[in-house]
Amino acid sequence: MELERIQYDNKIVKAFMIATVIFGIVGMTVGLLIAIQLFYPLFNFDFQYTTFGRIRPLHTNAVIFAFVGNAMFAGVYYSMQRLLKARMFSDALSWTHFWGWQLIILAAAITLPLGITTSKEYSELEWPIDIAITLVWVVFGINMIGTIIKRRENHMYVAIWFYISTFITVAVLHVVNSFELPVSLFKSYSFYAGVQDALVQWWYGHNAVAFFLTTPFLGIMYYFLPKAANRPVYSYRLSVIHFWSLIFIYIWAGPHHLLYSALPDWAQSLGVVFSVMLIAPSWGGMLNGLLTLRGAWDRVREDPVLKFMVVAVTAYGMATLEGPLLSLKNVNAIAHFTDWIIAHVHVGGLGWNGFLIFGMFYWLVPKMWGTRLYSTQLANVHFWSGTLGIILYALPMYIAGVMQSLMWKEFTPEGYLVYQNFLETSTKIMPFYMIRALGGFLYLVGVFLMAYNLVKTAYSGKFMANEEVDVAPLMKTQEAPGGYWHRALEHKPVLFTILAFIAIIIGGAIEMVPSFLIKSNVPTIASVKPYTPLELQGRDIYIREGCVSCHSQMIRPFRSEVQRYDPKDGEYSKAGEYVYDHPFLWGSKRSGPDLHRIGGKYADSWHYRHFYEPGEISNGSIMPAYKWLYEQSIDKSTTPAKISAMRTLGVPYPDGYEEQSISDLEKQAGRIAENLKLEGYEVSGDAEIVALIAYLQRLGRDVKVKEDVATGN
Amino acid sequence: MRKLVSIVTVLLAPLSLVAQDAGATSVATDPMIPFYLAVALLFVVALLVIVVAVYMLQVLQILTNEEARKQAAAKGIPYVPEPSWWAKFMNTATDAVPVEKEATVMLDHNYDGIRELDNHLPPWWKWLFYVTIAFAAVYLVFYHVVDSWPLQDQEYLTEVQVAQENIKKFQAANPVDEKTVTAVADPALLAEGKKIYLENCAACHLADGGGDIGPNLTDKYWKHGGSINNVFTVVKNGVTGTNMVAWGSVLSPQMMQNVSSYVLTLQGTTPAKAKAPEGNLYEPGGASSDSVKVQAMIK
Repeated sequence: MELERIQYDNKIVKAFMIATVIFGIVGMTVGLLIAIQLFYPLFNFDFQYTTFGRIRPLHTNAVIFAFVGNAMFAGVYYSMQRLLKARMFSDALSWTHFWGWQLIILAAAITLPLGITTSKEYSELEWPIDIAITLVWVVFGINMIGTIIKRRENHMYVAIWFYISTFITVAVLHVVNSFELPVSLFKSYSFYAGVQDALVQWWYGHNAVAFFLTTPFLGIMYYFLPKAANRPVYSYRLSVIHFWSLIFIYIWAGPHHLLYSALPDWAQSLGVVFSVMLIAPSWGGMLNGLLTLRGAWDRVREDPVLKFMVVAVTAYGMATLEGPLLSLKNVNAIAHFTDWIIAHVHVGGLGWNGFLIFGMFYWLVPKMWGTRLYSTQLANVHFWSGTLGIILYALPMYIAGVMQSLMWKEFTPEGYLVYQNFLETSTKIMPFYMIRALGGFLYLVGVFLMAYNLVKTAYSGKFMANEEVDVAPLMKTQEAPGGYWHRALEHKPVLFTILAFIAIIIGGAIEMVPSFLIKSNVPTIASVKPYTPLELQGRDIYIREGCVSCHSQMIRPFRSEVQRYDPKDGEYSKAGEYVYDHPFLWGSKRSGPDLHRIGGKYADSWHYRHFYEPGEISNGSIMPAYKWLYEQSIDKSTTPAKISAMRTLGVPYPDGYEEQSISDLEKQAGRIAENLKLEGYEVSGDAEIVALIAYLQRLGRDVKVKEDVATGN
Repeated sequence: MRKLVSIVTVLLAPLSLVAQDAGATSVATDPMIPFYLAVALLFVVALLVIVVAVYMLQVLQILTNEEARKQAAAKGIPYVPEPSWWAKFMNTATDAVPVEKEATVMLDHNYDGIRELDNHLPPWWKWLFYVTIAFAAVYLVFYHVVDSWPLQDQEYLTEVQVAQENIKKFQAANPVDEKTVTAVADPALLAEGKKIYLENCAACHLADGGGDIGPNLTDKYWKHGGSINNVFTVVKNGVTGTNMVAWGSVLSPQMMQNVSSYVLTLQGTTPAKAKAPEGNLYEPGGASSDSVKVQAMIK
């Protein structure tokens, strides 16, 4: 048999690795900053581009798509070439992919602080960037499938299965969730409204965790862990079963982010049961990873690479047990909207993704530079500061979450809330926020140590941009009779991809299609009317400032929430109230109170003063001041375009309302400004604060109009 | 390792302080305390029993093994210890081929040097999977097919109904309303009133009662009367058309009694920035309060 000499492309791997480290440091530093802002609001710097609401998405996008994303591509490009015995399909595509991805990150870093956002979590980037993401992702896909097609290995290893499922699922998720109607170059409205938008968003959000943070990293684990441990994979059969069950079941679990919300009960229940059924498939990956280390445990004590990997896989197991538990309705009733969820995602993010990446890098750099790690001791220090960092991050947040939730729910025997003032429940957990920031800081210090260690390692060796190997050409082989049926599938990449696509499309389709087609899923409320032009502009300011990062608009059907947020009328949030909300703004975390029934609760002047200096009205408030809203003017010229776009999306503004919209806006703004003037606050009707007040004062009131009519009849 | 534990302990020490602080109010009032204590005690006892039992079993096993070893030695046959039940259980649960024999299950797969074993699916893992699938089926059937478990709207109605019954019982035992309310003098209750005031009222009336969005509470002028009954009524129902909201649905009658009593203690104090008087002069115990009209808006 004649051997063929080929070259693996290491240069592209190196590029992705450098990007990983740089963006890891950037993303985590921003994370540390927002952690500090939560107990020292001073760190919002009274500057609109650095307030919590705007840079929290910067943190999440940077760590997910820039840090973890670049690491994923590094791991995939390195392992795929070797597992398929082929150089990447096209160097040009590889580099288009690399630079395209970095440009998207740059665009995110510029637009998010500017307040250019769709407000949908982990999908905040506006439509032109969404299109760029789609294109770059397709480039990645072509490059990957091209490499699979020209492979010299008969079968595809389990890592490749995970890469394939990652590619197709992320493509589907991104495209479906990013359906939006552009209003201008940097503004669009979600195609979906209210409950439907929430369902699509969390189908996306949950599966971004599944198929961006989990499946590619399982693939990476399946390559780097056996390589580093030099042990055979524990069970091929387990790989097969847990792969298919994982991708099939994961996609159904999205609604567990919307338990006790206005989402129909049946969809919530599907979210619950599929989350519970997800335990075993997830643990299948953990078991196969940990059991692969049988016979190598003695080396785990010494080798930092294995150490990081063991903690990563263990964190994966913990997070994937905790996730299903959090999906049980009674647990979720306590944990949702609290810091428990933040702790949960960080066990996954810092533990699973972070540590697996660190382990992989400590193994890769010596390998690619043909040398030894500069300092094992420094890597060990990194390991311990990272581990301690995770503990100090997660534990206080668990306590803070449960404590605050119990305070929200506590009643006196007379039937009144013990902690009526939301702020009181926040100030009580501040010490935990401080410890959390310390944990994050330790973790970040570790990353700096790693960067130094890796750079030193690289300098001590010589980089091989193209690694030469001799490989045998692909021979067509017949499957041996009596083997596993799945073996046949492993050399049919196209069929394999189609089957994986079918597996991931079923769950989403069954949950989403009925929600869109069957009317009873969102019972209409006749009194709910579209927003006025001024309110619509105010809503867009609410979106721009990222208010949704800290304030929910979803009062769950609990006595404690109804009592807190709507004591007078006792209305929890109903699906029909959100039919004109493109996008929905239910939120996922309450660092401040829910705002769905804020309309009419306070006078305009209260909001006027509160936005200017929240701490003056609410002593100890952690909300930043929004002074620029008093100086900046509403861009009224966009109003007609916004009205048209909303009508296209099904919001029933009368035909030709565009012409009237600006004068209506001015009239309403004038009324509010006059009202404020009566109370002694001089403000121009053009100021953004007026629009924001108009929006807030409208929130949650329409549902009550109906009652007035009903009693009037 | 021990060092690490001690560091963690030191760092987490402040947490316990805060936790106690938060729990204080509830602990004092919760009638279920004896029950919780009993359960906790039971739990501790059960744990101890288990620990002792496991220890006894261990001792027993050592003794029987020793006996078996002696007998084997007496008969001159090599002693093979019986595997413990735990070891047997682990064997059935994992069904793994031992590392030493793994060559027997080595597949011919080889990807860049990575080999794969053909170990069985761990049986405990399979059981876990089956149990979760069964859970899913039961869950869906009971919630959505036979409708015997309450969905969220029903859950809410039940929760509210139960609460209302309890409140009714409590109020029947401790009545306070506009007519029967009296000013409290107990410092603890006034302190409670002050806390409520600072949380809810100070935003508009200022912390020292000097008045801002709402009227000055330190002077003798009242828009709606200055008796405890008057103040209680305003707090409870609010004043339509002004910024004064109704607190009746937010604060309990007892809380409104305390805060109204506290407000009256502000009379005659000197605030940092006093808003001009509004309303009518009110003299406690005086005959008629509307004798002097004040047109006070100096602003």
